[in-house]
Amino acid sequence: MQWLDGLIQGVLLGGLYAQYALGMALMFGVMRIVNITHGDLMVLLALVGISLAGSFALGPISVLLVVVPLGAALGWLLQRGILNRVVGADPLPSLIATFGLSVALQNLMLQIWKADTRSLPGGGIEQASFQLGPIFVGVLPVIVLVTATVLTGGLDSLLRHTRFGRALRASSADVEAAALTGINPRAIYAGATAIAVGILGFAAVFQSLRATVAPADGPFQLIYAFEAVIIGGMGSIWGAFLGAMVLGISQSIGFRIDPGFGILAGHLVFLAVLAIRPQGILGRE
Amino acid sequence: MTDTLAHPITDSPAPPAVRVRRQTRSGAVALVVSILLLLALVTMPWWASQGLIRQIVELCCYIAIAQMWNLLAGYAGLVSVGQQAFMGVAAYFMFVLAQTWGINPFLAVVLCLLAPAVLAVPIYALLHRLDGPYFAIGTWVVAEVMRLATSNFAYVNAGAGMSLRVMSTYSADQRAIGVTLLCALMLLVTVGGSYWLLRSRYGLALTALRDNPVAAASQGVNVSRLRFMIFVAAAIGTGLAGAVYFMAQLRITPPSAFDPNWANIAIFIVMVGGIGSIEGVLIGALIYFFADRWFGDYGAIYLVVLGLLTLFMALFARGGLWGLLCKVVDAPWFPTRRTLLDSKG
Repeated sequence: MQWLDGLIQGVLLGGLYAQYALGMALMFGVMRIVNITHGDLMVLLALVGISLAGSFALGPISVLLVVVPLGAALGWLLQRGILNRVVGADPLPSLIATFGLSVALQNLMLQIWKADTRSLPGGGIEQASFQLGPIFVGVLPVIVLVTATVLTGGLDSLLRHTRFGRALRASSADVEAAALTGINPRAIYAGATAIAVGILGFAAVFQSLRATVAPADGPFQLIYAFEAVIIGGMGSIWGAFLGAMVLGISQSIGFRIDPGFGILAGHLVFLAVLAIRPQGILGRE
Repeated sequence: MTDTLAHPITDSPAPPAVRVRRQTRSGAVALVVSILLLLALVTMPWWASQGLIRQIVELCCYIAIAQMWNLLAGYAGLVSVGQQAFMGVAAYFMFVLAQTWGINPFLAVVLCLLAPAVLAVPIYALLHRLDGPYFAIGTWVVAEVMRLATSNFAYVNAGAGMSLRVMSTYSADQRAIGVTLLCALMLLVTVGGSYWLLRSRYGLALTALRDNPVAAASQGVNVSRLRFMIFVAAAIGTGLAGAVYFMAQLRITPPSAFDPNWANIAIFIVMVGGIGSIEGVLIGALIYFFADRWFGDYGAIYLVVLGLLTLFMALFARGGLWGLLCKVVDAPWFPTRRTLLDSKG
């Protein structure tokens, strides 16, 4: 029963990791950029949301309505101001630029919000749970998982069926050919990063409702997102979702084996996938 | 300092013998200065205070770690943010060798390099499948795995860490002599070794690899083998710096041994100083060393400035300060170029 419980909690945890991972899968799939500030932006949005909730007595839904557009705006600015200058075949400039920005952001947040861990009051929803046979399931984690599924489905169909999605796929296949057909790749890139960071707005609200956030947490979220993307298969949206599930389950089962082993178990499963199936679960050769 | 290259091509008329200049006056001056500085380093126990020695040991570690990162990122195109894995592993192995197994600690600093060398092989085998930016985060995961595994490993005292108590059998003077000699050895291996490597035929291959991997491969450079070699060499060099650093600290814990801040330091030094050159590393290390001592008290704001400076360099001055300087005067300290002289001259 302990293991079934571990499995279910792992899937629910995976819902949160999927929200971290979607934006990274999108950005890497389109621009082959890894944004090192991915986790820090999530933490920044969470801290802004918590401060807003404290100052204006906003509920979680109002915070979500503020934080998601704010995330999209930050993403657009990040792409326009910095990433569009460094996107290209050489991965070094974008990596170093976002690495520097990440150090700056973490310490700026440390200066503003101090090192305390904070969380968002949810008006009782964070404690609510229901019984499924012998196992208790939290209401909030189920909402997180459902939101993650809807976001994944939405992003996947956006890429498949809309004009923007076609332009995006064209730009990722061949930037110059896409530009020849009248697409403006820089605008498409800015849109993609806006979506990626906007999704982090959801992750920020749910992370701060479910657990806590502190200015130095960003790198860990970045690593989880990255592991989910690689386990699932690079460039695949549903792959990132699946990878997040695998990571969540590994950590949850690992924690039940030994509390010091949880996070490590996730990393080891990631390294095992890299050794056995480097293209990921849904990736093609 | 000129040498003659004759090409043994049999089925075509022999090309004229050419003279290639490989040393410059500025290089010769720099070589003398370097030797004097190394001599000053090893004689420090006789003229410098304990505090100054500790600071210089730290500076030498910055230089060594940054130069190893420079070799990886600047030449082999392998951007790593997890080199602290090798520092921590080497330092921990040195503590085990000296403290638990009773081997002479100064000898242990050299023997412990087996650990990063052995570890680098499977890590590279796993991570080289990840390209570009994903390789970087992969190295970070490996460093985290090492940190978490060490925190759970009772043999090395888990999260509580270890102390190098055997060092108390030596007097302060003996310790200072040992550490400064090891520092000199570390600089010879990392900076001197890189210089030697870059002037050898591997240096030509590395420079080609730095400028364009595909073109280098088409000219017969075995890119994957060269990258593997550099990865292992950088692991050993970084491990040596870790062992020397923690020998001077006398104490090690998993968070300090596998501190991601070392990646920040290496990247800052190389990007601000100038990537793809030894001179850049030296300039960057000096800037970081003094910035850390003068502005370190400002804490978070100081680190915000360092981060933004790294970002600024990546956006607008890829070659760093040395790159800007080279546009003004051409006086390399460690010349690695081959200049073709007039064939008659």
